[in-house]
Amino acid sequence: MLGELRISHLAAMAIFAVLVFVAMACFSRRTFAARLKFAPWSLALFLILGVGPAWLMYPFSR
Amino acid sequence: MASPTILREHDAKLGLVVSIHVAVVAWLVPGLGHLVLRRWGRALVFFLAVGGLALAGHLMRGELYTSQSRDSFGTLGFLADFAAGIFYFLPRVLGSAGPDLSGAAGSYGTRMIATAGIVNLLGVLDAFGIARGRRS
Repeated sequence: MLGELRISHLAAMAIFAVLVFVAMACFSRRTFAARLKFAPWSLALFLILGVGPAWLMYPFSR
Repeated sequence: MASPTILREHDAKLGLVVSIHVAVVAWLVPGLGHLVLRRWGRALVFFLAVGGLALAGHLMRGELYTSQSRDSFGTLGFLADFAAGIFYFLPRVLGSAGPDLSGAAGSYGTRMIATAGIVNLLGVLDAFGIARGRRS
């Protein structure tokens, strides 16, 4: 039986981003070097765009 | 003796049939279509990416849509989930605690399962394109 995974929002987002962008790198880039460059760059952008606005909105939440 | 034109048409039809078979196995087992085409790296990446997303989604107790959905959103969800191939049937085969959408983890899980299907669908199109000679 499948168990249960209890992780934070950030960890869930990171797992999602890693798996999706590794696959996306395979689709969109032809050479291994280009994929190696694309995957971490897109991953970093995804995480920054995911977490950045939350930090910006934090002062207005109280 | 068959003329070159007839032979070319026959080869084209055979190529299409083979490509459709590749697409079907690529859908059924993520990465298998690429494996058949001897794209070892892509096969491994697609299997791990789709499998990882689906497994994480199920472990986070995401919702798995069924074909009996009453609204169009549910139908789209089912199509996305079903596109994950064997990973759609994972909780039925292994057994699971069922969806729990009371927390954020369940919602994340639902999206991850759907994303697994979408990534696999892209993998199917990629394998089909390679089999047809349109992609490298």
